[in-house]
Amino acid sequence: MPMHHLAALDRLLSEQRTVLHEKWVAEILTSWSSLLPNTFNVGEMRQHTAHLLEEIAKIFAAYPESGLWEFGETHPLVRAMSEFSASRAISGFTPTETAQYVMCLKSVLTLALIHELMSSPVEMKVNLAAVEDVIGRLTLVTFSAFVETRERVILQQSASLVELSTPVIRLWDHVLLLPLVGVIDTARARKFTENLLEAITRYEASVTVIDVTGVPVFDISVARHLMKTVDAAQLLGTRVVMTGLNPEGALTLTKLGISLPNMITRATLRSGVAEALSLINRRIVPVASSRA
Amino acid sequence: MKIAIPRLGRILLVAIQQDLSDDEALAFQSNLLGTIAEIEALGVVVDISALDVVDSFMARVINDTANMARLLGAEVIVCGIQPFVAFTLVEMGRGLLSADCTFNLEQGLKTLQSRIASRGDYSLPDEHDDLII
Repeated sequence: MPMHHLAALDRLLSEQRTVLHEKWVAEILTSWSSLLPNTFNVGEMRQHTAHLLEEIAKIFAAYPESGLWEFGETHPLVRAMSEFSASRAISGFTPTETAQYVMCLKSVLTLALIHELMSSPVEMKVNLAAVEDVIGRLTLVTFSAFVETRERVILQQSASLVELSTPVIRLWDHVLLLPLVGVIDTARARKFTENLLEAITRYEASVTVIDVTGVPVFDISVARHLMKTVDAAQLLGTRVVMTGLNPEGALTLTKLGISLPNMITRATLRSGVAEALSLINRRIVPVASSRA
Repeated sequence: MKIAIPRLGRILLVAIQQDLSDDEALAFQSNLLGTIAEIEALGVVVDISALDVVDSFMARVINDTANMARLLGAEVIVCGIQPFVAFTLVEMGRGLLSADCTFNLEQGLKTLQSRIASRGDYSLPDEHDDLII
């Protein structure tokens, strides 16, 4: 039986696997030293790296002489790496920290090979090239899995932002309340404007209170969206009371030169509600308490 | 220079005592708005009787401040405009100062109070903030 061209690697990975594994773990721990110890479990990492090393040894044992080998997404090693990378992405590791996990193995193997094959440079080159190739591809797998996971998270988040419901609340007969909370983008603005207009027609609202206390960022685009909403509501014949503007919001609206003469503005939802009630000739009054 | 903003209940009094540089004018603006938001002021009287000159920038700052204060739910009255200042403002374009004006502080407060009294949120039954009447 001809000798396998990566005999040195095979030998290293079978005879010194424990030592290499220890070195690898030590390297990872060094590169993750800035991370909080509670973000990963060292015991789990040990098991995981041992398992990976086993799989990597198999790959080297079957590594073709041509140096061209294929491994698809179903390869156990690729699957293991992708899963690992995805879990890191979710628990907030940086891409660099995640990639270092595999990269650390490269330096460990390279050093061991250099030490082992000091006297046979040709064999050393062949072995080093194989290490470079395999670890490089694993790093790519890690990276793409990481990015894919992040992308998925971002997509989910933007979807859930749009889904943040903006209910139109009936405050009283012919008085509606639209409490706005969170980031207002074009999609959301359209949605709550539609809801509001529909509610105004359904309940024949004569007053609508729009509360923007929960809108953290009040920039020019938010102001524009909001003014469209107010404008549309006024077209349907409802009076609009806007409450909860902060100084920044007031500054933005004034900078834009927006003035809606028929819009009433009040500092708090409380005064806004009082104002809305007075517009429909109602008032909240104390009652003589019958319950002591 | 920092402009003091004394409180009368939920009304704020501002007297601009001397000509302000552009930066001072903007600092005054943000200071006043912060105070309005903080105490949920119902009204502001801005006394500019000490100003002999109001340039277009100052007029715009006063105007913008009035608009912003209104957005924060406060009524605004500007009082004490000197005849010459009025003349120059009209020369520059009447649109420069669209805030409501009165002759002096006393009238300003009266106007402000009658306006606040006609508001729907003034007569909240659990309102303990006394206005100076």
